[in-house]
Amino acid sequence: MHKFLALIFLSLVVGCNNSQNLDNTNYDDPIPPESGGVLTNAMIGEPNNLIAMIAGDSASSAIAGQIFNALLKYDQNLGFEGDLADSWTISDDYKKITFNLKQDIKWADDKPFTCEDVLFTWKKVTDPDTRTPYGSDYQLVSSASCANNHIFIAEYDEPYAPALETWASLHILPEHLLKNENINDTYFSLNPTGTNFYALDEWTTGQQVKLKTNPNSVHGRPLLEKKITRIIPDLSSQFMELIAGNIDLMNINPIQYSRVFPSRSELNDKINLYKEMGNGYTYFGFNLKKKPFDDLNIRKAISYAINKEEIINGVLLGLGEEITSPYKPGTYWENKSINKISFDVSKSRELLEKSGYQLNANNIYEKDGKPLAFEILTNQNKQREMTAVLIQRRLQDIGIDVSIRVIEWASFVNRFIKTGEFEAVVLGWSLSLDPDQYSIWHSSQDGPGQFNFIGYNNPRVDTLLENGRKELKNEKRKQIYDEFSKIIYDEQPIIYLYAGYGLTAIHKKIKGVKKITPPAGVFHNDYEWYIPKKFRRNEMSL
Amino acid sequence: MKKIIKNPMSLAGLIIILIIGVLAIFAGYLSPFDPNYINIDAILLSPNEFHWMGTDALGRDVFSRMLHGAQISLLVGIVAVGISTFIGIILGSLAGYYRGIADTIIMRLVDVMLSIPSFFLILAVIAFLTPSIWNIMIVIGLTSWMGVTRLVRAEFLSLKERDFVLAAQTLGASDFRIILTHLLPNSLGPIIVSTVLGVASAVLVESGLSFLGLGVQAPTASWGNILTDGKEYIQFAWWLSLFPGLAILITVLGYNLLGEGLRDNFDQNT
Repeated sequence: MHKFLALIFLSLVVGCNNSQNLDNTNYDDPIPPESGGVLTNAMIGEPNNLIAMIAGDSASSAIAGQIFNALLKYDQNLGFEGDLADSWTISDDYKKITFNLKQDIKWADDKPFTCEDVLFTWKKVTDPDTRTPYGSDYQLVSSASCANNHIFIAEYDEPYAPALETWASLHILPEHLLKNENINDTYFSLNPTGTNFYALDEWTTGQQVKLKTNPNSVHGRPLLEKKITRIIPDLSSQFMELIAGNIDLMNINPIQYSRVFPSRSELNDKINLYKEMGNGYTYFGFNLKKKPFDDLNIRKAISYAINKEEIINGVLLGLGEEITSPYKPGTYWENKSINKISFDVSKSRELLEKSGYQLNANNIYEKDGKPLAFEILTNQNKQREMTAVLIQRRLQDIGIDVSIRVIEWASFVNRFIKTGEFEAVVLGWSLSLDPDQYSIWHSSQDGPGQFNFIGYNNPRVDTLLENGRKELKNEKRKQIYDEFSKIIYDEQPIIYLYAGYGLTAIHKKIKGVKKITPPAGVFHNDYEWYIPKKFRRNEMSL
Repeated sequence: MKKIIKNPMSLAGLIIILIIGVLAIFAGYLSPFDPNYINIDAILLSPNEFHWMGTDALGRDVFSRMLHGAQISLLVGIVAVGISTFIGIILGSLAGYYRGIADTIIMRLVDVMLSIPSFFLILAVIAFLTPSIWNIMIVIGLTSWMGVTRLVRAEFLSLKERDFVLAAQTLGASDFRIILTHLLPNSLGPIIVSTVLGVASAVLVESGLSFLGLGVQAPTASWGNILTDGKEYIQFAWWLSLFPGLAILITVLGYNLLGEGLRDNFDQNT
């Protein structure tokens, strides 16, 4: 027994010494690339299906993206480059895209990759029996065919501007492994075979997903030998693991970025922080099918009464930007000529009174004896909840009675969004790279479960969105989407609140991370990352 | 009352409850700030001379929020237990006094209710309702009456055989009168103990629900939702987790001490 205790004590002492040594390590010395090493990161949720077209959740997509390739991918400046395709040509009438596929590529199981795999994937994603939310983009392809083993042709009835983007997001699946399988429910989804840098090594449910390098990778061998993604469902625990050195990177929140790191210099010695424009924006949306939100004056009055700068400073500690269109600030598609609606209480009151509202004895606006009152719904997301509280305070100040309700995501979507049983929401959309906003703003997309759940309907916007999809010349497209952005901003069916920065903390032992983040994001070149031998930890066996 | 004061355990419990009760009742006067006053220039300040318990992520004064949170916690605790005790007494009396089919039905219902983990039952019910403080009280009350029912029934079963009850029956007193004036006053001791202990568990359930976002809704302060706010910043803003955690701990401890002390007294009496 004593020996056993002594052993435990010894191991603790040795353990402490080790961490002491690591803490004193200078990670800033330049060290040339060395292959090998294990990168450990964490995610909140566990992937449920590694066939991305079926899964639809971000955890699954993140892992699947390491295993599978699409035909195209984004380069670091967000232009297109070949992934499984070597090159591609678009016909003069914009209705036909010919992809020249890379030759001599093999799947991880050594079977050759051919055009038949691409054709098979297209057939699966457009098959009505496949339970995928992404089918509609590919159903626009009127015919798909293989000219030979290495030439894939997709033809459209009409020019479709976002076509290349769709081919950059469809993971190509191996026909030889799936042709006799039910894609909705196949073991392959948990044990996939791909063509990308990594292959699945081991998946311990509820604990971690381990990837190892794929010797047949289409882009050659990455420097990192293995990648472990631990499943840690709580962000505070993830942060503690990052500080303890048990995970190498994570997305952090504004408080951690601008309060915790500056106050703890020992963290800055071992962790680098990266700030880039995030991929989404947060908005305050109205149910336009309900009164009083069908009244433009009311929507504008609310917009004038909300102090967006205060929200950015309060919720994001200034780590975000105000937006006026659904496009990344500073990118080509942003309409820079839109005048912002800024915080102005008197204008807000003026508009409310113009719509017939008067302050009652309780200092709440009312019309025909009915007070101006509504409920803001949001999901359990701290930033959104705080945003709702700030909005509530400002609206209360001018005389609008607002209550807040925070709901768990699944019931939020199923009970309120899909049924249209809500008045106002604080929610987010992603900032897409292609300007197409058809699924969010076209009046045909307001059915149950569709994205135009606020019920926006404007024939001019419908026309613009339809034309925008057919227009392939960027200058003309830009005009279309500039007008679209202006109409949406003028009509305020949603109030754009902010686009927050993506904040990433990466341990300094990870080398090869670009100092200046390219538009495609800090992870763009993660295949070039490496961990020098002297910084590697012993791999944990979980 | 003398016995409560003589027993150090129940005395400590009583003092704790009284202090928290007074703080809660006079929260409006004692709070240095409006609990919902947002000041984005004072985000996450550590405890200082102006903000005794620091500020939260929206710059609101945690001390003021704690005081108002005490109102919510105690109100939920007391009203919920009031509801469950009321139901428990009625069903327990019926089962214990009349026996027979009423007893069988009520006791099987108790068994069924007890076989469902109560917190999950509450979670499931709350998920379908608008999460307001009133709904929470009602749901906690409606799902925690089983203990009182069993207790009252057991007391009635033994009291019913006692001479004074038989005497009352012989004199022609109505069932209602016998239950109300003879049986209930004599079972009051155990009922009070269970009520006091029940408040402690209701306070915990409310904090748990608010912690999970199913309790009192923002921006209203409750100890549970202050604790949730704190969870995210636990490495940096310890005051957001420590103070509500301590408050819940001390309140529950107070009710438990008082309850246990009372139980000791009643046990000695019998």
